[in-house]
Amino acid sequence: MEFLSLLDITFFLLAGLGALVGIIFGAIPGMTATMAVAVCLPLTYALGLNHGLALLLGLYVGGISGGMVPAVLLNIPGTPSSITTTFDGYPMAQKGEGEKALRVSVIASVVGGLISAAVLFFFAPVLADFSIKFSYVEKFLIIFLALTVIASLSSNMLVGIFSGVIGIWLSLVGVYSTSDGGNGKTRLMFDAMEPYLYEGFSLLPVLIGIFGISTILLEAEKGVKRDIAGERVKLGKGNSGFSLSIFKGRMTNLVRSSFIGTFVGMLPGVGGSAASVLAYTQEKNLSKDSSQMGKGAPQGLIASESANNALTGGALIPLLSLGIPGDSTTAVLIGAFTLQGIQVGPLFIPENVNTWYVMMTALIFANIVMFFLMFYAIKHIAKVVMVPKHLLFPIIVMMCVVGAYAINYGIMFDVWTLLIFGVLGYVIQKVGLEVAPLIIGFILGSQAEIYFVKSLESFGTFSIFFTKSPIAMVLWALIVASVVFSIVVGMKTRAKQKMELSQVAGSTQVKPGKDRDQNSR
Amino acid sequence: MIVSNKLMTSVGSAALMAALSVSSGVAMAQDGPLRGNVRIVIGSTSTGGDTYQNSSIVADHLAEHLDINMKVDAVGASSAFRTLDRDSRGNTLMIFHDQSYLGYLYGVQGYDNIFEKYTVGPTVAINPGNAYLVPKDSSYENLEQIMAAVGDGETVRVAIQPGGVSEIGFSALKNAISIEYPGMEDNLVAVNTGSQSDKNQQLFDDQVDMIHGSVQANEQYTRLPEDDQKAMRFVWLTARQSTIEQAPEEGMGKTSREQLLEYVEPNVHVTMGDDENFTFDKEFFFLYNKDMDPAIVEQIDEALADIYAEGEIQEIQKNAFFIPNFKPSDEAAAYLTEKMARYEEIISNIK
Repeated sequence: MEFLSLLDITFFLLAGLGALVGIIFGAIPGMTATMAVAVCLPLTYALGLNHGLALLLGLYVGGISGGMVPAVLLNIPGTPSSITTTFDGYPMAQKGEGEKALRVSVIASVVGGLISAAVLFFFAPVLADFSIKFSYVEKFLIIFLALTVIASLSSNMLVGIFSGVIGIWLSLVGVYSTSDGGNGKTRLMFDAMEPYLYEGFSLLPVLIGIFGISTILLEAEKGVKRDIAGERVKLGKGNSGFSLSIFKGRMTNLVRSSFIGTFVGMLPGVGGSAASVLAYTQEKNLSKDSSQMGKGAPQGLIASESANNALTGGALIPLLSLGIPGDSTTAVLIGAFTLQGIQVGPLFIPENVNTWYVMMTALIFANIVMFFLMFYAIKHIAKVVMVPKHLLFPIIVMMCVVGAYAINYGIMFDVWTLLIFGVLGYVIQKVGLEVAPLIIGFILGSQAEIYFVKSLESFGTFSIFFTKSPIAMVLWALIVASVVFSIVVGMKTRAKQKMELSQVAGSTQVKPGKDRDQNSR
Repeated sequence: MIVSNKLMTSVGSAALMAALSVSSGVAMAQDGPLRGNVRIVIGSTSTGGDTYQNSSIVADHLAEHLDINMKVDAVGASSAFRTLDRDSRGNTLMIFHDQSYLGYLYGVQGYDNIFEKYTVGPTVAINPGNAYLVPKDSSYENLEQIMAAVGDGETVRVAIQPGGVSEIGFSALKNAISIEYPGMEDNLVAVNTGSQSDKNQQLFDDQVDMIHGSVQANEQYTRLPEDDQKAMRFVWLTARQSTIEQAPEEGMGKTSREQLLEYVEPNVHVTMGDDENFTFDKEFFFLYNKDMDPAIVEQIDEALADIYAEGEIQEIQKNAFFIPNFKPSDEAAAYLTEKMARYEEIISNIK
């Protein structure tokens, strides 16, 4: 209990402040938890290790959670790991349930964060040993499993898969690095584009562009008329419509998604966004009724938000037990240790017990502060949707542009990326392609390629994907199950639609006027 | 409505303040051409790596000495070079290490000849930790046995990151084998990987027999029990003996300087021919835009000379397992040019 003497009021204040600033960073499109931690990293010099860690872990937890705000209210994922939050959050906000959606998300976040912190505390070394059982082959299969979400996510499976393939194709633009198994040459572009596209399209500008800017363009097309007519987005009728009963029957989803998030977090090299995508897929496949997912179902939010917050504890597992960061934010966080001259590796926890306890305290405290800050501020935050669109949209566009410019420390092409993908996102939706599968393809595509090529390079045969280990076989079973589920659900939905259509056609003959009116709504 | 507008504004300004609080206002240098806000870009994207750590130490001292603001940005090699290309005012400086010319020697895209395209500034420190490791239960006791095995026709796979610091030791080893066991060098096979975590994973999976690593990143792994899948053992540190001798006596982690000295020349012998042993010290130095005012070069040289004369920076560097190694620009450029020529020979020998 020696570590208790290291905890003082400043420690808790810094963790709380970190959570607050993190939420703000996460909530501003284009600013991420990683950026918040990177900006504040040099402060660890002045603050010392323990106080520095309190601040940085606060920023980390806050930054990941803050991403839900623009995802729900504006259809802009504040962080890459909150893209699945937009799938149900934004439709809910459009129905006037923004506050309810945010409350569900906050509770899911804190549960995810705390479950993963508990897993980190009790099982870190054991899980680190488990995580190294995942070689290139298993990592490829995990990403492949996450990619299967494309099938279940699309309203038309073929169009969805096609959109996903375009996403993957876009992710491969740029240099094919020799460390990734390539030849160090650029591909899928003309030589003249090399100065801009050498490293490919940056993830965040693409994400904000294709979700945020395109939404604004679509809204601009129809929204102005609505504003003139004095019609505004509804905020809810006095109360938010939220009650804890939403979580009734959703505990399995909550706990499963939290574990998925923790698990994906602890696999180095499998990006954070794969966590929420996987959790979302599993909920879609395993829940009794997933027909409303993607149209504004709280269960989608629960899956996405609990998983992405569970990343925090998960990503710290390999960091503290192997010295290997589990995601991009912990990759920056490791700097706090190096700057203080502390080695992180397999012996970090036994050799730095006090620092370990201090980190756990900061992590749990930051989660709790995040919960209270957000849960009680939501009422006010949700009012963002009441701001008239002609004022709100220019501000969002400005913030997106600033964020895109800042994300890679001032690259103007990132701003162009944002705008190009904004227009592309608009066009895609106009021609009937699907945005969500495309973006999932974009996020996971390049990783899938790297691990696929590396697997072949290491083992030299295709059969290794099936025979590498029992883990690989389990993953194949999950992949097959996921695909079969999607097909079955797809066929059921189609049959149901057909039946409804024939019923409608039948009743139209009796009361043509009324039904036509209903259909057009 | 007014409330929500106010809320938006306050949230916005809070974020702005948070961002600005760390990069604060403009401070002016009392004298000298380098003033205001200076950005140091580094050739690594990692804030957990040695380049960031070393650059932060140097930037902190320089900023304090010159009374200006300095910020280290981990943007990665190609971004750093491009950023430096754009700014000849001296508000962007770069710190990188031997990778900057090794990338060019290995023909990696995005690397030019730094001696022609940029002004090479002062060297500041050495990271003596460049290392090669084998699994703790490996049948190879030391590097000599590995070379003999390769000479005997055994295939030995080494995980490296191609095109730079990670590859130069491998190239030297291959070169030494070609000298001692002519025609057998192709049995030493490079397995191209990316990050340190990838290299470690390859070793855990038995996909390679030896990995490139570092004392800092791998020391704890060498202290794990032999039956642990993750346990490793050093077989070679590429640093010069005289470099390691300058490290603190307690070494790194729980591995003392004495123990580390077992893995450097002359205990480990990698010939370059002509009775010369291969060594490689990873050195950090400044790079400037070619058109930058020479007065700034001089100002930084002088400032660093003062800082190193005070002696405090050396202590901090040594505590972080860096070996202080300040050489003013002219001296550094001549020294590094000669260093590049040595390695160019090795690389061309094994082509």
